Amino acid sequence: MSSLRPYLVAVRSTLTAAMALENFASQVVERHNKPEVEAGTSIEALLNPLVISRNEKEQVLIEPSINSVRMSIRIKQQDDIERILCHKFTRFMMMRAENFVILRRKPVTGYDISFLITNFHAETMLKHKLVDFIIQFMEEVDKEISETRLSLNARARIVAESYLATFG
Amino acid sequence: MILLESHNVVIQNTLAEKFNKPGSIDVVFVDFDGVRFRLSTPTSKEIIVLSMNIRCWDELAKYGVTDVLQREYGSRVMPQPEADYHVSLEYAIDSIPPPGEERDALIKAASLLKRNALAAPFENAFATQKTLESSETSDLPGQLMEIHYRDEEAIYIQAANDRVTVVFSTIFKDETDRTFGKVFLQEFVDARRQNTAMQHAPQVLYSSRDPPLEIRNVAGLKRSDDVGYVTFVLFPQHFSNPERMQSTISHIQLFRDYLHYHIKCSKAYMHSRMRARVAEFLKVLNRAKMENKEVERKTVTGRTLVQR
Amino acid sequence: MATKDFRKINIDQYDEDVLLEEDLYDHDPRDPATVLAETKQKAAAVRGLIAKGDIAGALSSVLENAPYGPKVDDAKILNLQTILLLLNSTKTADIPSTIKALSSDAQDTLMKYLYKAMAMPGYADVNSSALLTWHEKLTDAAGIGCITRVMTDRRTV
Repeated sequence: MSSLRPYLVAVRSTLTAAMALENFASQVVERHNKPEVEAGTSIEALLNPLVISRNEKEQVLIEPSINSVRMSIRIKQQDDIERILCHKFTRFMMMRAENFVILRRKPVTGYDISFLITNFHAETMLKHKLVDFIIQFMEEVDKEISETRLSLNARARIVAESYLATFG
Repeated sequence: MILLESHNVVIQNTLAEKFNKPGSIDVVFVDFDGVRFRLSTPTSKEIIVLSMNIRCWDELAKYGVTDVLQREYGSRVMPQPEADYHVSLEYAIDSIPPPGEERDALIKAASLLKRNALAAPFENAFATQKTLESSETSDLPGQLMEIHYRDEEAIYIQAANDRVTVVFSTIFKDETDRTFGKVFLQEFVDARRQNTAMQHAPQVLYSSRDPPLEIRNVAGLKRSDDVGYVTFVLFPQHFSNPERMQSTISHIQLFRDYLHYHIKCSKAYMHSRMRARVAEFLKVLNRAKMENKEVERKTVTGRTLVQR
Repeated sequence: MATKDFRKINIDQYDEDVLLEEDLYDHDPRDPATVLAETKQKAAAVRGLIAKGDIAGALSSVLENAPYGPKVDDAKILNLQTILLLLNSTKTADIPSTIKALSSDAQDTLMKYLYKAMAMPGYADVNSSALLTWHEKLTDAAGIGCITRVMTDRRTV
C-alpha cells in the first residue's frame, strides 16, 4: 500500500495544470456558454482526460477542456460498511451542491463524487485555494469514513456487552 | 440511556398523578410493537380503567396469558375488557393504598402490563423445560410457540430438556439498517467469546436470510435479504430462581426494540457527524472566494469611474 | 401527416466540413507494421542497455519516436511494457538524474506514459506507488507545463 502523500501531490499538480481556463462561448448554439466538458459537442475544445491512481479502489479522473474541468474521485471502500458510509456522505454533500458551488449533483459513472470547475469559478475564486479545498476533501473523507466506522463498531460492542451483561 | 426500560412511563406518571388527585381522564397512547393503551374513567372519576390492545393476544391466550395476569393483578382484571381492547384493569380509588412503597409497587405493576402479558409464553417455556428435564424419558423438544408481535416480525420460543431457545425474526427496512444491523449482531455473537465476564450470558447466534434449524418447518417464513434471525439459547441458570427468571424475561422480550433503537441512534450520530464535517468543508471552500474590494477609480479630472 | 422521425436526425453528420478526431493532429507517416517492428527492435535493444546499467540511455531511446495515433495498439502496449520495465528497475535515488538526462520532448512523452499507466491500475507491471514517485520527480524537473502539454497533445501514446 503506497502512502497517501505522493498521490495527493500528483492530484494537486495535475489539477493545477488543468485549471488554465478561459471564457469560451458555445460553437454549436448561439448565445450559449456552457462547460464544454459537459456538453461534449466540440471535440476540439476538449483535452485529454487523465487518470491518477493510488490503487484500483482509489482513483481520480481529471477531464480538462477549454472552459471547464471536471474532476471525479473514487473513494476507498473496503467493505459493505465503508461503502454505505461513503455513499451516505457523498450523497449528503451532493444534496447541498448549491452551497458547494463547484460540486456536481451526480458523480460521473464509476466514481463516487464529481466536481465541475468552470472559468466563471476560476474568475471569482482563487485557483490555488480551490485546489487546496479538493486536496483537503480527499484527505479528510477517508479519515471521516474510517472514524465513523470505528465509532460504529465501538458503539455496537458497548451495546452488545451492556445487554448481555444484564443476564450475568 | 443504553438499556431500554420495560415499564411504560405514561402509565406510571398518569396513575401516580390521578391517585393523588382523582379526576376524570381519557387518554390513548402507545408502546413498542404497536401496543395501544387507554387510561380512562368511564363511569365515575373514582374508578380508573387501564386497557391494552396487543396484536398477538390470541397467541398469548394459548400460552396462558390469563393465568399470568390473574396472578399479577388478581381481581383488578375486569371479566369483560373494554370494547376494542384485549385486557382491562380496574383501579377504584378507594382501594388504593396510601402513598408510600405499597402504592409505588402497585403503580409499577400497572406500568408493566405489556411486559407481563408478553412474559406468559416465556414462563410457559421455562416450566416446560423443567418437566422435560425431570421426565428424562424423551429428548423430544417441547411445542414451538410463535408470537407474531409485529406485522412481519415474530418471536419463536421452544423448550428442550436442557435449554430454552428463543428466535427473533427481524426486518431491516433498507440497506443501511441491514449493514448496521449486521455490525451490531456480530458484536452480540462475539461479545461472549471475547469477554470472559460474559461467560454467563446466553449464547447468541445470527443468520440472515435462512431461518435457523429450530423454526425451519414453520410455514410462511419470508426468505429475503431483509430478514435476519437472532437465536438466544437460554440455559437453566438463566431462569433458575424466580428473580433471575423475571429479569431474563424483561430483557429478552425487548431485544428487537433495543437493537433497532441503537441502529437508529447510530444513524442519527452519523448524520450529526456528517453535518459537522460538511460545514467544515464549506468553510474551506469559502476561503477560496475572492473578497471583492471595490476600489474607487477616478479619472484625471476627478470623476468617478462606474462599472456598468 | 407523414412521419415525424426526420426531426430526430442528427444533421451534423452530413456536414462535409465537420471536424473529425483524426484531423486534429499530424499523422505518423510510418505504417503500422513498420512501427510495430521498430518498437520490437527497440524493446530488444533496451534489454541490452539495462544489462549495462544505462537506464537513461535506454529510456530516451524508447521515448523517441514513440508510436501514436490509431491502428498501432500492439506497438503502444509493447512500448508501455518496455517503459514500465525501465521505470520499475530504476532505484528511487537515481530517478532525478535519469530525468535530467532526458530531452524536454522525451520528458513530455514520459509524462504521457505515466498517465497512461496510471489509468490502468492492476494491469501486469503497473506499480502505482512507483509511478507516483516518478510523476512527482518529473513534475519537479519539467514543471506543470509538462502536464499541460500531455493534456493538449492529441498524439496520445
